[in-house]
Amino acid sequence: MSIVAINKLTFTYSSKKLCVIDDFSFSMNKGEIVGVVGESGCGKSTLLRLIAGLETPLSGKIDISEVTVVDSRTFVPPERRGVGMVFQDYALFPHLTVAKNIEFGLHRLSRSARSARVKEMVELVALAGMENRYPHELSGGQQQRVALARALAPKPTLLLMDEPFSNLDAALKAAIRSELREILKKAEMTCLFVTHDQQDVDALCDRTIKMGERIAVQSERISS
Amino acid sequence: MQQLARLLRDFKKHNNGWLWISLLAAAIILLPLLAILASVGKAPNENWSHITEYMLKDYVLQSVWLVLFTGILTVLLGVILAWLMAGHDFPLRKFFRWAMYLPLTIPPYIGAYTYGNMFSYTGTVQTTLRSMGIKLDQAYFDIMSMQGAVFIFTMFLFPYVYMITVSFLEKQSGSYIENARLLGRTPVAVFTRVVLPISRPAIVGGVTLVAFEVLSDYGVVNYYGIQTFTTAIFSTWFGMYDIESATRLAAFFMIGIVSLLALERLLRGHRKFSATTSKNSPLAPIRLKGISRWGATAFCLLVLAVSFVIPVGQLFVWAGWTYEEVLLTSDFLEMTFNTISVAFLATAFIMLLSIVVANMTRIMNNSFGAALAKVLTLGYSIPGAIVAIGVLSIFIWADERLAPLYSWMGRGDAPLILSLSLGMMVVAYIIRFTATGYNSVEVGFEKIGLKYMEASRMLGIGFTRTFFKVDLPLIKGALLSGTLLTFIEIVKELPLALLLRPFNFDTLATKSYQYASDERIFSAAVPSLFIIAVSLISIIVLHQAGKRVV
Repeated sequence: MSIVAINKLTFTYSSKKLCVIDDFSFSMNKGEIVGVVGESGCGKSTLLRLIAGLETPLSGKIDISEVTVVDSRTFVPPERRGVGMVFQDYALFPHLTVAKNIEFGLHRLSRSARSARVKEMVELVALAGMENRYPHELSGGQQQRVALARALAPKPTLLLMDEPFSNLDAALKAAIRSELREILKKAEMTCLFVTHDQQDVDALCDRTIKMGERIAVQSERISS
Repeated sequence: MQQLARLLRDFKKHNNGWLWISLLAAAIILLPLLAILASVGKAPNENWSHITEYMLKDYVLQSVWLVLFTGILTVLLGVILAWLMAGHDFPLRKFFRWAMYLPLTIPPYIGAYTYGNMFSYTGTVQTTLRSMGIKLDQAYFDIMSMQGAVFIFTMFLFPYVYMITVSFLEKQSGSYIENARLLGRTPVAVFTRVVLPISRPAIVGGVTLVAFEVLSDYGVVNYYGIQTFTTAIFSTWFGMYDIESATRLAAFFMIGIVSLLALERLLRGHRKFSATTSKNSPLAPIRLKGISRWGATAFCLLVLAVSFVIPVGQLFVWAGWTYEEVLLTSDFLEMTFNTISVAFLATAFIMLLSIVVANMTRIMNNSFGAALAKVLTLGYSIPGAIVAIGVLSIFIWADERLAPLYSWMGRGDAPLILSLSLGMMVVAYIIRFTATGYNSVEVGFEKIGLKYMEASRMLGIGFTRTFFKVDLPLIKGALLSGTLLTFIEIVKELPLALLLRPFNFDTLATKSYQYASDERIFSAAVPSLFIIAVSLISIIVLHQAGKRVV
């Protein structure tokens, strides 16, 4: 089943400028990890924001789990798309603790189910003992893991990650990369992530799409 | 067809309670102003030719002179003080740096009757001089004049120019000024060739605020007997009981003000003076030596004395004579309660509308949102008397339309219910002071950006719940300072309160002004000191907020 299907997507920030994304089509299946690469300013982040519902396309269609979320007459707001996102700067709520941040998207669960899920996520990203800290009391790597746990907690059908490693130093990056693939595979998560680092691609992705040229180039992962 | 479908889709995307409240807010603010403009289309009545012949030209000219001279003097005083504080070091500089905000706590109308009385034949100044055996021509003490009004406005409004210019110079001008000094320019050349031109945007911003205050004033000019267009509106309204002509006058003045604003925009154009480098080194003050060292201190001391210490001291003396009578016998409690409850009610509405519209415009991020924000802050540039006329004509119109309903309810045939209610005053305050609250909220939202909201919505929380769970806790500080500043503006306000208050409804401002007009100036001291004390809070809030930014 295709989790995301994008058909002839076009987007521009202002009507006077050139299209950031022009006639772009693409689809991905359940459980796939796909990297989006390309030069800066070629519309990688915009693609994620369009799928998330944070921007509205000029034309084209996006289906998520075979339901149309946006076309010329439909617009499903971001909170009803069932998509999770890890932001480049994490956007952890500064007024909430680690546990409260992770719990934030679990409002539909009962109280006991909620705390069980938080516990599970905290263990998954190895942050046990940090639950009552505030984001500013954490290191960059820890913040990144909280952001991941927060996005995964409501079990989204699709996880979007916007340059998730750009704020980490090289040593940390290597450690988290290998962890991440494991976490994502364990959670059977479908994931689309933006990067400009070839090492990210090699370590994580099943395949990549390259943006910035008129037609997105796809390449398969050689060894998995 | 596609286009239409897309338009419908985008409308649906934003179609929620927030949008409708935003449109309602825009309507509340725009309707009275449009009602005024609409009056231009009607045929003028018989008073109109009398007004244009005998009043219009003189009144407009007086207004122009008042704004022009006050503008020039506030710029002179404000910029000199700002340059002194930002670029130099002298004894007590740190104290004066913030003490120069203090004159803002005295509304000009209070300053006007305080000085007016001090300089009168029986006032403090002349009696002191006579007791020393000095007799001078009365002409020297004629403060109740154009010059006097300019003096009052300058002394109590210059902090607007000073405030914006000094923080601009401190933060942004370091590299330019140090370069000019290194290139060997004399201090005077540095001031005229570098300081003045680069701080032009700051100066224009400050002096625009001063101009709005002067144009909106009624207390000072009426007390000093100067005919400005605000008094023209008042006297057409209350002297001739001709609201139609008063509205027509208001319309012409509004058109004038709007075109002036457009002209200012045009003149400012796209010239930017601030951002050739993003690295702004703060300016290091140079130590003054010898005479100029103490000269600077003495100058600051003199300005502060005239614009704050002396009038407040005088008010305290008068309050000492009258506080028992004012506090005990009059309805002081009642008017304090009136003041606080009206200000509270209006502030609550203002903050509510500000939050809704600011939150809406930041997610819309298009020209419609920008227009909405403009409309909401429009009232600040419209003088109180004009706002009052607009609100009154809308309310009278509503009463006329509702007359059948009133008579059905057994309230008589043509009663005025809405237009004699407190609601009118509250609406007028919303129009005039939403800018204050809105700007604070907008700054708060700008600081946190959109990312927390986006993160929350990606976690399945809708727009409204996101606001309460994420945005509201994060903009609490900005919200609080906006509330406080708006509240205080309303407590100080005079012309709207005078024009629109219900019968027998007094606020601290209207009562103290009435005392002063009734030659009971000493009794005005107590309510005046109350207003000054409340305003002092706003200065402290501003000061604290400024510290946090740095």
